[in-house]
Amino acid sequence: MSRLYDTIEPNVIDEKMLQKAVEEQGPQEELGQIAKREGIDYKDVIELQLDFRNILKVDNLWQFVNLTKLQLDNNIIEKIEALDSLVHLIWLDLSFNNIEVIEGLEALVKLQDLSLYNNRISKIENLDTLQELQVFSIGNNNLTALENVVYLRKFKNLRTLNLTGNPVCENEQYSMFIAAHLPDLVYLDFRLVDENTRELADIKYQYVIDELKQGEAQALAKLVEEQAKQKELEHHKAAYVEYLNGPFLFESLYVEDTEAARLAYLPGMADLLETYPSSKFVLICENLFAYGLKEHEKRQAEVSTFYECLQEAIQDSQKQGTKIILDFENDNQGLLDVIQNMSSFEIAESKLVKYNEDISQVSDTLMTLEMQTVDQLEEIIKDFERNIADQVSTFIENVQGMMAQCRDLENHHHEKLLEIAINTLEKIVKSEFDEEMPDDVRLLFVDKDTIVNAVNASHDIHLLKIDNREDDIVTKANSWSSSVIEEVHKNELNRNRNRVREINQYSDHLQEELDNMESLEQME
Amino acid sequence: MEVLREHGEEEEEEKKVFVISNELQDLEEKLSKIQVHIPNVVPEFDWSTIDTSQLPASYKTNSAKEQMLLQLADNFHRQYAHLCPDRQPLFLHPLNECGVEKFVSTTVRPTLQPYPELYNWDGCAQFVSDYLTMEPLSSPITPPSYLPSPTTILKYQRGNCFGFGVLLCSLLIGAGYDAYCVNGYATREICMMDETREVCPLLEKSKQVLKEPMKEKIKKYAVKPPRDLHSKFELQQVAKKEADTEAAQKKKKKEEEERVMEAEKPKPDPLYGLRVHAWVLVLSGKREVPESFFIDPFTAHSYSTTDDHFLGIESIWNQQNYWVNMQDCWNGCKDLTFDLGDPVRWEFMLLGTDKPLLLLPEEEEEELADEDLDDFDKEEEEKGFDMPSSWVDLIQVSRKEFETRCPQGKKVIQYKNAKLEKWAPYLNSNGLVKRLTSYEDPECIRVLEVKEWFENREDMMNMRQLNKKTEVTTEYFSPGHIQGLKAHTYKTMEPETERTMEFYSETRVDGLQKRVENAKEMTEYFEGRSDFLHYRHTMFGKRTKRAQKLLVNTELNARPIVQIKEQFHRNPEKPADEDVAERIFMILEERIMLTYHCKDDYITASKKEFIKRKDVDNKGNKIIMTSDMCISYRVGSFVKNKKLLHLYEMMLKLTEAEKQLRHQVWESETEVLEILKIREEEAAASKLTVSMYDTERNEKSKQQRETMERLMQEERQRQVEQDLDYLAPFLIQMGSTEKMSKWQALRLKEDCLNDFKHRLIDKANLIQARFEKETQELQKKQQWYQQNQLSMTLEDEDAYLTYCSDAMFCIRILEIRLNRHKEMAPQKYIELEEKLCKDPRLAEYLKFNV
Repeated sequence: MSRLYDTIEPNVIDEKMLQKAVEEQGPQEELGQIAKREGIDYKDVIELQLDFRNILKVDNLWQFVNLTKLQLDNNIIEKIEALDSLVHLIWLDLSFNNIEVIEGLEALVKLQDLSLYNNRISKIENLDTLQELQVFSIGNNNLTALENVVYLRKFKNLRTLNLTGNPVCENEQYSMFIAAHLPDLVYLDFRLVDENTRELADIKYQYVIDELKQGEAQALAKLVEEQAKQKELEHHKAAYVEYLNGPFLFESLYVEDTEAARLAYLPGMADLLETYPSSKFVLICENLFAYGLKEHEKRQAEVSTFYECLQEAIQDSQKQGTKIILDFENDNQGLLDVIQNMSSFEIAESKLVKYNEDISQVSDTLMTLEMQTVDQLEEIIKDFERNIADQVSTFIENVQGMMAQCRDLENHHHEKLLEIAINTLEKIVKSEFDEEMPDDVRLLFVDKDTIVNAVNASHDIHLLKIDNREDDIVTKANSWSSSVIEEVHKNELNRNRNRVREINQYSDHLQEELDNMESLEQME
Repeated sequence: MEVLREHGEEEEEEKKVFVISNELQDLEEKLSKIQVHIPNVVPEFDWSTIDTSQLPASYKTNSAKEQMLLQLADNFHRQYAHLCPDRQPLFLHPLNECGVEKFVSTTVRPTLQPYPELYNWDGCAQFVSDYLTMEPLSSPITPPSYLPSPTTILKYQRGNCFGFGVLLCSLLIGAGYDAYCVNGYATREICMMDETREVCPLLEKSKQVLKEPMKEKIKKYAVKPPRDLHSKFELQQVAKKEADTEAAQKKKKKEEEERVMEAEKPKPDPLYGLRVHAWVLVLSGKREVPESFFIDPFTAHSYSTTDDHFLGIESIWNQQNYWVNMQDCWNGCKDLTFDLGDPVRWEFMLLGTDKPLLLLPEEEEEELADEDLDDFDKEEEEKGFDMPSSWVDLIQVSRKEFETRCPQGKKVIQYKNAKLEKWAPYLNSNGLVKRLTSYEDPECIRVLEVKEWFENREDMMNMRQLNKKTEVTTEYFSPGHIQGLKAHTYKTMEPETERTMEFYSETRVDGLQKRVENAKEMTEYFEGRSDFLHYRHTMFGKRTKRAQKLLVNTELNARPIVQIKEQFHRNPEKPADEDVAERIFMILEERIMLTYHCKDDYITASKKEFIKRKDVDNKGNKIIMTSDMCISYRVGSFVKNKKLLHLYEMMLKLTEAEKQLRHQVWESETEVLEILKIREEEAAASKLTVSMYDTERNEKSKQQRETMERLMQEERQRQVEQDLDYLAPFLIQMGSTEKMSKWQALRLKEDCLNDFKHRLIDKANLIQARFEKETQELQKKQQWYQQNQLSMTLEDEDAYLTYCSDAMFCIRILEIRLNRHKEMAPQKYIELEEKLCKDPRLAEYLKFNV
């Protein structure tokens, strides 16, 4: 017996095996005949059973993209792999294999029922993405740590869990621990978790669970907060004024400025720094910020009105088109049958001609309607384009104006600083300067050029920062406007093409019907 | 306050008087010769004959305060007559039903009734108008000399406008309204309760508020309409022509209307403006009444205070005061203001009632205060006097009376081209409570439509409408019919004829909302189904002759189905071009047509047509499926047809569906038959339901209650018997009961038993004695009879015979009682002994005895 078992070759899932399985499990009888004649697309297969086939390696399943149920039980699989394309999978059976590590299941987000019964797994892990999981069977494995089960708390839909046959079950706390830590679980090891046990467990593990819960709640709150913040930032970014609602820009001026730090030791600098920055500069920034948000809202409103009107116009034209077709179909209902059964060949002929004309007329009417719609839409698109361009250019102008104010402030500051520096220099030259000063600062006051260069360098850095920020806003605004316009044009073009194609297809279909009949008649 | 007063012509009239009087005499003579045929009218009710003996004293006498009030009123009236000599005397203190003068304000007796229906003014008014029979005034131009109390009016269920008004006013004030009785003048229609020119309120179509279509704001990017290429001139010409014809038609219509109006116009009323009427005024303010209005107590209609029907007001009163209108009524009541605090417009009789002086601008207040001071001196006497409380008893309406509503539970009102009949609930065995017959012509001969309202029917039918022109009957049902029926429109109850049944779709499993049928088709409308089906239309063919003979309704015998069409709503879970919108099963032609929903942004819908053919190909194999068996048009995809496999699967499913559908159609037909059967049974039975809370009518619960009461009574009696303390007399004899020796206890028991024994024996002796006495007397009588038998008259003999039978009866009864007593006595004796043994007072001592 064992010899026989040994001689069976381990298999890899290959084309031949799949073909056979699909044919066996596919439609039967009459349907089967047709299916055989036509062949079955792997795309259409919804359930597949590959059990008792001595499979060692999973492969070649990438074509079954619509598979919802896959059975790979009773094989000798050692590694879960090559399942990433089966994203619709709901039911996966990997029981009675030789798997050691849970892995490769990240893509199967729809999975509800997972069976890993009778394998060699020692840790529950790598299942974070499977949020839909309802039934999880991992009995007869090597799970040893009871704490590992806490991992399953993430699955809010988990109702059935099977852990029998694991070393962990020998722990006397086992069922209590699980009842307490998985409060939504209904069945454990194929048995209903009764109220009594749950109550006892709740009391026993109350503190632990409370702690756990608190930790989870905190994490959740933090996440929510973060998300809210992120969202707000996104909103600001969409308005191109991120980080302008405070002294962020001002602070960024000094981040890379090494000179400024040294210059700060100059006498009188403290006063100057106090008067210059925060108040005015920040005020301008905040103005800019508010303005940016307002403009952003305006732009959004503009876009949404435009789309609303566009949709309305398209709907109108669709309604008209539908009505034309409906009228036509009602008029000609059963006409073909009538013609076919007509005794007089001549009348039938004339009717046919008439029908033919009608078809072309309907198609013409529809085309005219479409042309008209296109004209109308083109006009409003032009309007929209103009308005958006206007809005964006005003926005840019105003931003530039505000940035100029910032620059002025900076220039002013620069002049003052220069003055102080030269004064200090003079004092030092005249040796009247008697205050303490770090050595590297004193080095600046070697001669006039050095100190002026240092001050200028600081100023340049500041100006550069302001310029960069301005450019940033301008480019983003411009690119937004062009992208919006482009999208509108693209959509309209697509719509038009689709419609024309549809009309053609429809008239072709009618024509074909007619031709079919004529050919039939001729045959008779 | 006569409105039409001919001042100028008085002198001329005097001259004419003589001539006229001659003419009058002639006329009188002529008239006397005419034999007047007096119609058979119910004799007029005479208020003077009613029984007043049961009425309380306050009805028959006046208290001192009331006397004083009457004097005040007289004084007030003298002053008034002096100031306004040309006005009618005031209606101040008419006689009541006991012939006592009572001031009108004290006749108002505010009472709140315990019925929720009588909490609002419309309910009160409807009750008064339904409950009472209207009596015209004896003289239409003067107020009546008597005014019975509201309680008497309620008792006899009749009254004139003043009686109506006072009763309604009492109810309204009781319910918290600021209501007043009004004495004034109104048109003939109001005074005579003539509603024949009014459109029945039930027939008035609810005025639909035509919502002005919201003018759509022209949006910024709205598309411009395509250029209009029609000639404007031509359009103008056409419009002109249309306008002309329309104008002509309008004119014609108008003329027609005018003619009708002319015909309907009432004859001019010679007493216009003189007819006295009483009604109720409700002032705004209390009970959230936004605006003052009148209520006509006869018809229970409300009118605005500027209504044309009311031509003037003399005075108004409530339970607290009496006001005389000092405003000119040349324009009816249109210009009247109802600010009772304004002494210029409303002269009050009693000062110091709490009706406020209101609506005066601030700056005048000081002036007014001065005036008030002046007035104060003048009317000091009256100042302290407030209205005495009403002499009328509480107004009480029993539940039964309240439900019966109209006198004898029936009332008929004649409206313009319509007649309304009302009945009390449970009066008619079929539950009919209201019937409105509308006529084509004003003479009410040709019936147009009959509407009947029902209540408390077991089959939940609440209304039936019969259109005489089309012979179509429509029955409406309240929720709760077995089959969820809501309305049923039909000509005949014959199956497979034209009919419409509406259902309460939410109560039905299949969500059926309506089923329209005629001989050849059946259309069903559904609502809220999970499969999104909302319409099913079935066309039937003619039955083959042989099938017609079979009367049994089996699926085989059903009408052959030609075509079934089903329509579905969009199922948002499926993509549009896989979601079927319509499927037509052409059963005779063996074809199935599917139309799918339109995809977004597309104007044509996908289609599929299956042709079922069971052919055999040239090799002799059965063709299962070929591509030409399905013609399909799929929007927006250029991929060739789906695989045959899928098509075949689909066709199999459709075939199955077709089979089920045919069965369903048959089931629908069966259901119709069943409903018709049930309806016929229900109509024949016409049972009424009785609410379990209705203690009067619910026979079962009544019986149950009565038995319960009886049982309670018996129980109580037994209790009393048990409580009889048989030991008491003996205990008293013994003195203190605290300490009692065994011997004493035994003695007590003995005494008690002995006493009881004596009683029993006495009783037996008594019965025995009576028995013997009766027997002796009978024997004597018999002897006497035998002696005098020959000389006796027939009468004496009869008397003797009756005496004999009576005596025999007595003797027999006594005998039975004696026997029973003999039987019972020992038992009773034993019982008493047991009781005594168990008696807590003796048990202690007696148990050692055993």
